[in-house]
Amino acid sequence: MTNADLPRQKVDRAEVFIEYTKSICPVCKVVVDARVHVRENKVFLWKRCREHGSFEALLYSDAELYFDSLRFNKPGTIPLETQTAVERGCPLDCGLCPDHQQHSCLGSIEVNTACNLDWPVCFADSGHQPDGFSLTLAHVESALDAFIAAEGDPEVVMFSGGEPTIHPHIVEFVQLATDKGIGLVTLNTNGIRLAHDRRFVAALAAIDPKPRIYLQFDGLEEATHHKIRGRDLRAAKAAALDHCAEFGLTVILVPAVERGVNEHEIGPIVRFGMAHPAVKGVAFQPVTHSGRHVPFDPTQRVTNADVIHALADQLPEWFRVSDFVPVPCCFPTCRSITYALVDGDQVVPLTRLIDVEAYLDYITNRVMPNPDVRQALEKLWSASAFAGSRPTDAHFDRLGCAACGIDRPAVLDALAEKVFMIVTQDFQDAYTLNVKQLMKCCVEEITPDGRIIPFCAYNSVGYREQVREELSGTAVPTLVPNSVELQPVLITTRYGSKTVADGNGTRPASRDSTNVGKGLR
Amino acid sequence: MTERHLVGSAGPETLKACCAAAYETDAVALLLGDSYHPGGLTLTRRLARALELRPGQVVLDVACGPGATACLLAEEFGVHVDGVDLGTSSLARARARAAERALDDRVRFHVGDAECLPFDDGVFDAVVSECAFCTFPDKARAAAEFARVLRPGGRVGITDVTLDRTRLDPGLATVAGSIACLADARPASEYAALLADVGLAIVVSEPHDEALAAMIDQIENRLRALGIVATEGVGFDLDTILRYTAAAARAVADSVAGYQLMVVSRPAAKPTTTARTMPRRATGPGAASGGS
Repeated sequence: MTNADLPRQKVDRAEVFIEYTKSICPVCKVVVDARVHVRENKVFLWKRCREHGSFEALLYSDAELYFDSLRFNKPGTIPLETQTAVERGCPLDCGLCPDHQQHSCLGSIEVNTACNLDWPVCFADSGHQPDGFSLTLAHVESALDAFIAAEGDPEVVMFSGGEPTIHPHIVEFVQLATDKGIGLVTLNTNGIRLAHDRRFVAALAAIDPKPRIYLQFDGLEEATHHKIRGRDLRAAKAAALDHCAEFGLTVILVPAVERGVNEHEIGPIVRFGMAHPAVKGVAFQPVTHSGRHVPFDPTQRVTNADVIHALADQLPEWFRVSDFVPVPCCFPTCRSITYALVDGDQVVPLTRLIDVEAYLDYITNRVMPNPDVRQALEKLWSASAFAGSRPTDAHFDRLGCAACGIDRPAVLDALAEKVFMIVTQDFQDAYTLNVKQLMKCCVEEITPDGRIIPFCAYNSVGYREQVREELSGTAVPTLVPNSVELQPVLITTRYGSKTVADGNGTRPASRDSTNVGKGLR
Repeated sequence: MTERHLVGSAGPETLKACCAAAYETDAVALLLGDSYHPGGLTLTRRLARALELRPGQVVLDVACGPGATACLLAEEFGVHVDGVDLGTSSLARARARAAERALDDRVRFHVGDAECLPFDDGVFDAVVSECAFCTFPDKARAAAEFARVLRPGGRVGITDVTLDRTRLDPGLATVAGSIACLADARPASEYAALLADVGLAIVVSEPHDEALAAMIDQIENRLRALGIVATEGVGFDLDTILRYTAAAARAVADSVAGYQLMVVSRPAAKPTTTARTMPRRATGPGAASGGS
């Protein structure tokens, strides 16, 4: 009997189809239809470009957690103003356009493209470059004014870059944002100037309220520093942290987590942070494959689920997977947070004290025991929360009373002081971009021309290149992710990032390759 | 678990009053939060579904505490609820909760003793009692009272601590004797036998040991959190108490202690359609306080 004699058998697909959405081609950035599916308990995004073929990327490496997270989703808030009109559809109208589903919890202003390092990994594609830009005070003021017009009472402004601390006017920028009444001003830095310039740290600390420091901090091992940052920066990080402690600046450590590089350091970084007097939290970010980065496999990338599992595996005496609760203000798979009370080796996650899930589940939970507790938890589980800042501490005080039965003021002071925050935030890139998530984004890039562009759209759709070109006056190629499968067509840009040979001048097309503007007949 | 020491030598009346008082203290609120029984409101909903409650039915909540269950049953299942408890301050909080939710026309609370319920025979469609049966000194009498106030075909829903005293760690056994909810907890089979003796037949019996484990975990974490934030000491020997919670957690892991959901039913009488009426409040010795 030969194969030809056998009756033909139908076979099942390897994936469970979940939903239909939109994304972009990672090469030409044209908008394409996309599918989300599950294979072997992992969630993937699949899409096809008419010109460049099909692409698949890992969204979440634990399907069960992914689906459980979906109930942590709340109605968005409409900003006071939007800056653009709906013309071409998401993600080509940023922004924000009236179709966007959420206001901005955090606005980031990139003040320059220059950096005192040339790291192998940089989503902003910064470095010692002659053709970048450096914002003026007028630029920053117009960006802040646009943000205030949109938000009324903005929660957080982050100054980033480039490396913002080497901008000659950065202290004035921070002062300006503070004077304009921004609730919390943060500085996103590699820490080198903080390590070497005590007077600079003192100048920042003299601003009232003090700005908060987002310190890039990828690990405690020398090898990690070499792989991600190109040199051993451990001494500089230590000096920066000590200066911050000396002048009372509170710090969140921000590790970029890359597969096979520093996943094993996730637990040790938390342990280190808890022991340092300046550090109030850690914000893990799976490496964003935008800008400049090492070659990667999009189906093997690190996701929030990997960070959460790694923490539970590496610090089992302190944390469980269930201690991390998705943030309901943005799309819930983008960011998860936990808080813990910490005193030496004693660590008690907040989720063990209060049923946080019951308060932040807006979909299946029908009875709300206490609206005050929910409001406080909403603020703590958001992109604007920053442990060690006045607004966030105040929310903890409210919780202490309402949820834990603790009502003595002395105890409450101790409570906020002993809180440690752990965040994992997975930013989207040109491979993983899902407009469903993007439309609910609450972390935005504010540009000097007054646009408020969701951070993940800014990095992957072409807005970053557009803004850099406008501000620097030099042509900027469309960047393409440095994925293993695209290596044959990639060439290196003058900034170290990648593009394709014919990519110069390629811009997002307004035309979808499927399903746009045509009926069947 | 309580600020007052409940010693084994206390008489039944003292124990009941003590137990009710203990559940009213701030220390208990601190440790147990909103949920006064393992499984919280999630398990309450499961119990309500197992009782097959229908809108308009009349339910008795025995040892109702501050009224969370009574209000939930009224809001989500559309039933009328009478709650009884021995703790007057719990009852005051329960009435305030019902009033706040505009449920005071459907949810009423009374001072009352489980062993001498202030209600007429056969007036309730269902009786619920969460984490309380184990504390009743005369369980046979309480079971008989449940059966008495239930209409034919009505159901009793109980969730409670189970304990196999023969396998209990000796260190914990000493403490267990002084903790209200463990002092007289029994294996699930004994509860079933007590209920069967008064003619209540098992419909559902399912273990929820994980709910007890989660509650012990929460208590332990709240104690540790208190240790972290209390700058001037916590007022008791934290390490000793944490050793007890660890022993309790082991007891649950080893299936020595657990938590059981049981639904039992009173046999139906000859099929008639009975008019639904609100139970008439009796004038027994325990019914000093009426509803709103």
